[in-house]
Amino acid sequence: MRLTVKPLKQKDAGRGLAAVDRQAMEEMDLENGDYILIEGEGGRAVARVWPGYPEDSGRGVVRIDGQLRQETGTGIDDGVTVEKADVQPAKSLTVALPQNLRVRGNVAPMIQQNLSGQAVTKGQTVQISFGLGPLSSMSGQKIPLRIADSDPEGTVVVTDSTDISLSEQPAEQIAGEETEEAQTAPNVTYEDIGGLDDELEQVREMVELPMRHPELFQQLGIEPPKGVLLHGPPGTGKTLMAQAVANEIDAYFTDISGPEIMSKYYGESEEKLREVFEEAAENDPAVIFIDELDSIAPKRGETSGDVERRVVAQLLSLMDGLEDRGQVIVIGATNRVDALDPALRRGGRFDREIEVGVPDKDGRKEILQVHTRGMPLTDDIDLDMYADNTHGFVGADIEQLAKEAAMNALRRVRPELDLEEDEIDAETLEQLRVTETDFKQAMKGIEPSALREVFVEVPDVTWDQVGGLADTKERLRETIQWPLEYPEVFEQMDMEAAKGVLLYGPPGTGKTLLAKAIANEAQSNFISIKGPELLNKYVGESEKGVREVFEKARSNAPTVVFFDEIDSIATERGQNVGDSGVGERVVSQLLTELDGLEDLEDVVVIATTNRPDLIDTALLRPGRLDRHVHVPVPDQEARRKIFEVHTREKPLAEDVDLDDIAARTEGYVGADIEAVCREASMAASREFINSVSPEDVGDSVGNVLVTSEHFNTALDEVGPSVTEETRERYSEIEDEFDTTEPATSETEVGRTFH
Amino acid sequence: MRLKQTLREQGLETRRVDYEDRTEYVSDFGSRDGVSVDVVGDTAIVVAGEEQHDVELPADARVFLNNDVLTIEVNK
Repeated sequence: MRLTVKPLKQKDAGRGLAAVDRQAMEEMDLENGDYILIEGEGGRAVARVWPGYPEDSGRGVVRIDGQLRQETGTGIDDGVTVEKADVQPAKSLTVALPQNLRVRGNVAPMIQQNLSGQAVTKGQTVQISFGLGPLSSMSGQKIPLRIADSDPEGTVVVTDSTDISLSEQPAEQIAGEETEEAQTAPNVTYEDIGGLDDELEQVREMVELPMRHPELFQQLGIEPPKGVLLHGPPGTGKTLMAQAVANEIDAYFTDISGPEIMSKYYGESEEKLREVFEEAAENDPAVIFIDELDSIAPKRGETSGDVERRVVAQLLSLMDGLEDRGQVIVIGATNRVDALDPALRRGGRFDREIEVGVPDKDGRKEILQVHTRGMPLTDDIDLDMYADNTHGFVGADIEQLAKEAAMNALRRVRPELDLEEDEIDAETLEQLRVTETDFKQAMKGIEPSALREVFVEVPDVTWDQVGGLADTKERLRETIQWPLEYPEVFEQMDMEAAKGVLLYGPPGTGKTLLAKAIANEAQSNFISIKGPELLNKYVGESEKGVREVFEKARSNAPTVVFFDEIDSIATERGQNVGDSGVGERVVSQLLTELDGLEDLEDVVVIATTNRPDLIDTALLRPGRLDRHVHVPVPDQEARRKIFEVHTREKPLAEDVDLDDIAARTEGYVGADIEAVCREASMAASREFINSVSPEDVGDSVGNVLVTSEHFNTALDEVGPSVTEETRERYSEIEDEFDTTEPATSETEVGRTFH
Repeated sequence: MRLKQTLREQGLETRRVDYEDRTEYVSDFGSRDGVSVDVVGDTAIVVAGEEQHDVELPADARVFLNNDVLTIEVNK
């Protein structure tokens, strides 16, 4: 039966499975697990039937992985003949190992375990993984084995009772049915790419279609596309994608890396570039891959060097000059798309620009599946959970995570290894397993690479540690945690999540502490900006800082951006003239970032201030910092809770009555209360250290208690930092914010309260 | 979904395939050795190497094992 080849889903790859569309399965009378013979233009392969995906039903599709596609010499969308295969169980099998394999001991059981269930033919080369999966540079190091002999002849399936023996001749010396061609294309298949299905589809459409069926374009009367530009943050898989395309379409593949073509002789750099294109044209169809395109094609107006300018010009004319370059497709990759010469970014040169973004949750799961495919995992590892917890991770980070987890597993068996030996015991290899703890350990050490520059260690503060403020906490949770936790509710109610929250209140009431707790509890990436650090002495750089912060936040969403003391960078415009207007430009930039043409998706801004009246009113309107949360001076009950938090770990004497202390501390804010507790403990320590000789300190320290008397001393020393006046002022501000038009009462405000 | 849950608890990663009249849960043991399945009463005992999974089956389930591919079929 004639079926069309499609790629297999990542998680099913590498096991010799072929997902056959169900209607075809019925027609051919196939059961799950039956052997089928797939015959393509370039060869035959045996696979086991796997039920087809629901979306394929009736479309005449067989999905096979890259390895099978290579065996059958087919690519995606090619036709293959599929028939039921009659396969004998093998009685005995002789395999040859490659010469350079250095493993000691009896590897036959491992080979058996690996090959079990696979169908093989004499002369065939099979790739098996020896469990050390991702420790090599490619995911899942594969060892090529050659089947030297089998009994019975023909295609056989390896079972448990198959007797496996090793050939004395190494694999290289046994001639197979066909000698392998020297491969220039890299060995990456579409299944090795996770989470980029749409992007990959676009690239294939641009690259594969014109190469396979140029007549389609002739019929339409258009020129086939000539180039694709891949751009996106580092580590998202641009190069990998180009490699996979080159591998799968079986075209001549050549790549240019920027610095390589540069030469010190006049004119030679351009010549090298011409050579590459000429060589490709001679071997067409061909793909030229230019990695880090920005290094050889920067904006001509902005480069200082003469050479760069000439190289760019040469590249421009090569890509769309007078001469037709034939069936040569150029794939460019860069992570600085704005640095490229604009002349390159037009139709005829790079016809299409494809953004390769940071993967979402599903994408991350697929990438995890790719990287753990060859890894012996224990069953308790839940990849979904790791996909959930890796916000902002790009492919490279996830690969690093898998690699690190495997390294942890390796560390466990290290002591048992004898490094002096040339070879490693096969049994040790077999026992190697990557466990849940290995993954957890690895998670701790890896942070998303795009965030490294601005990454802050997420503070270890939980809601528990915030005393009182129950109302404020609840409102914060609604604004920040709900949209991330219950997106379906927001969708159903047709609500948009709030973009920002302004926390205001007198100094010391716990605004920063709340932000810390939010960062910890919100399961998001956290970027913290201390206002003044954005300011830079060069014109335009301060605004650029703001832009960069938001750009980072966007590409790593969900993110919480935290501005501490926002009044320092977002003061009312039109008042200051002293600083050449930097402050105003920063405010304007902030305004456009918060509510501009570009959407802020899954980015929440938290700002704190104790002078909300100084902040530019445009920043406070709905759509920007639309929720204003007053963090009030704590009342008696709240103070009691704050005392509880601060004395939780302190040894208190029985006569300490927190209720009483709370009642006596009218006007004290969180920071004052912390100071009171510290002073009280200090008083207790002072008394203790002065009364005991230094030698006995260690023994009797357990008996020290903080008594009511100590608290009284502390209360005398620490006064309330909020006066009645301040409090009134803040409740006035709160009233102001509660009315629909915030800035109606334009009274002259003094710069300080006291 | 209950069957899928029991299967997952047993450490069997399965794929659910819906047909008009029935639902199939398919799992591949390809790389492990010695897979066998036995149905005793309403429990399927799947033995893969040293692991054993006991899967409680709904009333009208059928279990097949074909070349290390396990299929559990349940009528709708």
